[in-house]
Amino acid sequence: CVALDVQAACRDTAVTQELLKEGFHRDLLVKVELGEDAGGCAVAARTRLPPGIYVDPYELATLQQHNLTKAVLSPDVIDLEAPEYLARDVLLLLFLEPDPRCSRCFRAAVPVHARYHRPAEGTEEAVVVLESPEVLLCCCHGRLSAECWEPAEVDTPCSSDSTGSCQWHSTKHSPACEESMLRVPVGLREHSSLVCALTLLTTGLCSGLILAAACKYGHF
Amino acid sequence: WLLNPLPMAVSSRGNAEALVALLVLATLYWVEAGSVGKAAVCYGLAVHMKIYPLTYALPIALRLRTRPRRGEGALDAGGDKMAKVTFMARLWHLFVKMLNRDVLLFGMVAGSVLAALTVAFYHLYGWEFLEHAYLYHLTRRDIRHNFSPYFYMLYLTAESKWSFALGLAAFLPQLLLLLVVSIAFYRDLAFSCFLHTTIFVTFNKVCTSQYFVWYLCLLPLVMPSIKMSWRRGVLLLFLWFIGQGLWLTPAYFLEFKGYNTFLFIWLAGLLFLSINSLIIVQIISHYQKEAQAAKKLKQQ
Repeated sequence: CVALDVQAACRDTAVTQELLKEGFHRDLLVKVELGEDAGGCAVAARTRLPPGIYVDPYELATLQQHNLTKAVLSPDVIDLEAPEYLARDVLLLLFLEPDPRCSRCFRAAVPVHARYHRPAEGTEEAVVVLESPEVLLCCCHGRLSAECWEPAEVDTPCSSDSTGSCQWHSTKHSPACEESMLRVPVGLREHSSLVCALTLLTTGLCSGLILAAACKYGHF
Repeated sequence: WLLNPLPMAVSSRGNAEALVALLVLATLYWVEAGSVGKAAVCYGLAVHMKIYPLTYALPIALRLRTRPRRGEGALDAGGDKMAKVTFMARLWHLFVKMLNRDVLLFGMVAGSVLAALTVAFYHLYGWEFLEHAYLYHLTRRDIRHNFSPYFYMLYLTAESKWSFALGLAAFLPQLLLLLVVSIAFYRDLAFSCFLHTTIFVTFNKVCTSQYFVWYLCLLPLVMPSIKMSWRRGVLLLFLWFIGQGLWLTPAYFLEFKGYNTFLFIWLAGLLFLSINSLIIVQIISHYQKEAQAAKKLKQQ
């Protein structure tokens, strides 16, 4: 994605977001190319995950323990089993690592999982739309150009040194970006009657068979 | 059991099924050996760890009620006279006589152990413990794919007005079968509990591989009583694995490849139910311990 309204002193920030793998368990890969040098600031991407997907907090904790990913979820209590219509949005703050490919590139990946969606009529899939992430910088020495960056409100503290001088900044010109889409298979409502009837019939038959055997061979 | 790959695989995913299996086996052992108190302690501990042993209360109560005691003749002699009375009268007699000294002792000790553990853990962990150990099961709605034959039906009707009625309809065969099996086979406690758990797991609304360990641990106890040809046994085992394989394949494609295989998973679930039912019926029809037990009682 590229910032649309480009000012003379401000270079473009490019953000891309990709969903790797297939099925219900994916990897969300975020890549950022800053318009200018980060200058020792920590780079992060903030994205709002819709109720259709979630990050497993226990998996995240294990990854953080092994220093593979650093991210913060809010809220941090997530119901792993809830279907999409009973779940809430989650805000994901993902800290990016420098990408060896180019000097101002940063990237990070986090595993995400799709939830079960409502059964649908006429279509076999539900679509989960992921908005483009917001690029945030955490700077402790205030050397960012004020034309490109403005202070941002973020719940998570910027860094572990609580000297108080560290501040979050976001880009002044938010890039317009293509959203990522995740297709999730769903059950078909048209099957309801057939499924209910055949399920109850089969379970009735099977339980009848076992009942008959118990009555025949049982010692009452 | 130590070398069985299924409990190895299940336990390595972080479940303490082996501990619960140990406690259940200990309970059955002490009941058969006559130490009601020790059995009750193990039972209380087992129920605290996992709720499913609660279903063994009925077979254990029926078994404790009919153990021959000093001074009383074998109660089965009394049972013969009962054959002339109507079936309903016998059933009533069975339940009314349930509350003898052993059953009450068992109930009180197990209940106290369970209550004491609950209070202790509530003290340690607070409301979070109660919520995760017990209340969670009342409100849990997990509609994701699993071996249960009811999975697709419950998923499709999760938000409809029939949801409660269908949930109940799914519960009734399970309940009825458990009751009948307890009454039919309580004389052999291990066999009764084995059938109990197999039926409970097979007809449950949620069924995962982890639950298989619950009845597999009782299989070595009942195998000597099941007079089945080696070939038939292997064929049934083979069918059981085929049933799982046929479910796991579309499930893999759904979860890891994103194909819409819900119908195949549902049909494989029904097939797995049928295979399990066939295995249960075969086990019941080849069960032959009663002849030996009756001989022993006559000799006493």
